[in-house]
Amino acid sequence: MIDFCGKRKIFFGISIALVLIAVLSTFIFGARLDIQFKGGSILTYSYTGDVDKAAVQNLIESTLQEKITLQEATDVASGMTNLVVSLTADKSLSSEKQTLLTDTLQQTYPDLNFQAVKINNVDPTIGKEFFGKCLMALALSALLMCIYIAFRFRKIGGWSAGAMCVLALLHDVVMVYATFILCGIAINENFIAVTMTIVGYSINATIVIYDRVRENEKLYNKTMSIAELVNKSVNQSMRRTVFTTVTTVMAMAVVCIVGLIFHLDSILSFAFPLIIGMISGLYSSTCIAPTLWASWQEHKLAKAA
Amino acid sequence: MKRVGKPVFFIVVLLIALFTYAAFFGISSTFGDNTTTYIKGANEIRWGIDIRGGVDVTFSPPDGVDATDAQMDSATSVIKQRLLSLNITDSEVYTDYNRDRIIVRFPWKSDEKNFDPEAAIAELGETALLTFREGINVDETTGEPTGVTKDNVILQGEDIKSAFASMNEKNQYVVVLELNESGKGKFAEATGRLVSESYPNNIISIWMDNTVISYPTVNAQITGGEATIEGDFTLEECKSLADKINAGALPFKLQTENFNTLSPTLGMGAKDAMVMAGFIAFGLIAIFMIVVYRLPGFVASIALVAQVAGTIAAITGFFPTIPSFTLTLPGIAGIILAIGIGVDANVITTERIREELRAGKTLDAAIDIGFKRGWSAIFDGNITVIIVAVVLMGAFGAPGTFFAKMFSWAFFLFGPSTAGTIYSFGYTLMVGVILNFLCGVLFSRLMLKSLSRFQCFRKAWLYGGEKA
Repeated sequence: MIDFCGKRKIFFGISIALVLIAVLSTFIFGARLDIQFKGGSILTYSYTGDVDKAAVQNLIESTLQEKITLQEATDVASGMTNLVVSLTADKSLSSEKQTLLTDTLQQTYPDLNFQAVKINNVDPTIGKEFFGKCLMALALSALLMCIYIAFRFRKIGGWSAGAMCVLALLHDVVMVYATFILCGIAINENFIAVTMTIVGYSINATIVIYDRVRENEKLYNKTMSIAELVNKSVNQSMRRTVFTTVTTVMAMAVVCIVGLIFHLDSILSFAFPLIIGMISGLYSSTCIAPTLWASWQEHKLAKAA
Repeated sequence: MKRVGKPVFFIVVLLIALFTYAAFFGISSTFGDNTTTYIKGANEIRWGIDIRGGVDVTFSPPDGVDATDAQMDSATSVIKQRLLSLNITDSEVYTDYNRDRIIVRFPWKSDEKNFDPEAAIAELGETALLTFREGINVDETTGEPTGVTKDNVILQGEDIKSAFASMNEKNQYVVVLELNESGKGKFAEATGRLVSESYPNNIISIWMDNTVISYPTVNAQITGGEATIEGDFTLEECKSLADKINAGALPFKLQTENFNTLSPTLGMGAKDAMVMAGFIAFGLIAIFMIVVYRLPGFVASIALVAQVAGTIAAITGFFPTIPSFTLTLPGIAGIILAIGIGVDANVITTERIREELRAGKTLDAAIDIGFKRGWSAIFDGNITVIIVAVVLMGAFGAPGTFFAKMFSWAFFLFGPSTAGTIYSFGYTLMVGVILNFLCGVLFSRLMLKSLSRFQCFRKAWLYGGEKA
């Protein structure tokens, strides 16, 4: 049997260190919001033949009267090379300007057959609103889950269980965030989807352990110390926690590998942070949430005595 | 659930097999050229615009223009009219009156090779050209006006002050038309001339762009600049016609600085890869479960097949009368997560059975206790995931949907969502978790209890117990 409560200081230390790394890397590497949230314009053009990038860049900048960056990207599905035009400034183009650009490109280079295959043009106001809505959804689901747990686990100090659960969740969300920062992925819609998934996944793992604590509390009827109770419950749930994580991580690893083979960046930037979040969820639900809860209960007992 | 008969396993497996076949391949019959679909298969899945390509655009009046609700209604009706004339039937249009925005989303047309989304966006946003024309001579092939109808334009958008739905003294719904000074004279002259003509020459047809929206006959000369259009209208029809007429008199042009388009080739590649990943991942999970948990692992794999089939049925709508649901890339991720949670339900109970067996319980007692003790953890875990799913559906659902209304108090600060993709995630996750109660708990239990009645499956080792 592993003495989780005895090692809790180590666990808390590791977690605080990890969170600090996440905060530090934000300052060092900077958090980048994707254009979905901050607004902006990315236009992807397909073409055939050879293109003089410098000339095209000049043409685009003079047509739009805006600074741009121009990149080449390979489209795996068609095997063609695409040109990706991004506005440097966080602003969006009007549809007239965008159409004008397409027309200009097609007229200047009639042989290259320029076609806009993908347009992402987000108004900054709408983007910020969307971001706010995502954060609100996150906060609301955390609150509702906290209330639900507080109600269902009222026998074992509901609110403390709920609060510790949410704290463990926050830990996992920070880990997902750090993955995005360290991998240089912009914070986008995927980030929200991953965060939501991890919230659901990690809470599920924590609840299985709380459920065991609830059951053992009834079974041993306060003959055990809180630390013993938590240790026993975590150890009993250990095989379940590990095997479930192994299966789901395995499934996501397949998605990740397929994404890597087919160069599907949007899938990769979804699947990889999800794996990190699941591992973090395994850690936080076994090492953080139950031990934090034990500390809280012990503190309450000490105060009552 | 004390005793479960031996045949139960085979009945459950047969039902799952039939259902899975129906959900994936559908059931239809062909008589000559007519194919009747009884049950929709997986190929009827409506893919989101992030997969099959399409357009997502938000229109708004120019900066500084504060449009009234009536003006927004008119602008919306123009867009809907134009979508139809572009032959785009599979579109979604939402109007946000507080922020003066119209959100339009439509997928790439599957039969269209040279669809030009940029032109479509430009056309949707243009000011509507409203005309009142003499007679109703329509070119059969193009639907455009010809002859006198083409040549004699009586009124244009700027001649109209307003139009609104009302009720006349005979308690019929009518559209009341008020004209500007510029229109009064022209209308008086035309109605005066046409009132004595015989049908159909006494018609004044009303056109938006090149589409007839109404063709009333002239019953009297109208000199006061106020006319009514009568017909066998419902209130809705009156409002719709009034909106369209008003659209021709809108003092602004719709603009967009928020539009996303994706060509189908980019997304379909991602879809195929994700579907492939799904099959491989499922196979690996099944192998893992059988190797680690033996008989319960085998049962769990069958239950998972049922869960996936159920999720697909919930997306296709299964029966032809139920509308299908749009599946996006995050939606596929939701299915994968739900499978993970389904695995978890089976792992929890199987671990419990194993524990009880190792504590010396008999096989039947261990299975019963395993499912009983595992239940509360599965229940609480699943309910919390449903909470997340419901909040997501509330936040990112289209305005007017059930969950969006339920959570409007929390999200009123933010405009209606343009991100249908996350909604799809919430939907597949919720459906998956609900199915998990059915498959991961009920079906697994029925199958396992039934199998445990067979003499050859009574070894505790098969259920994770110690080797005898």
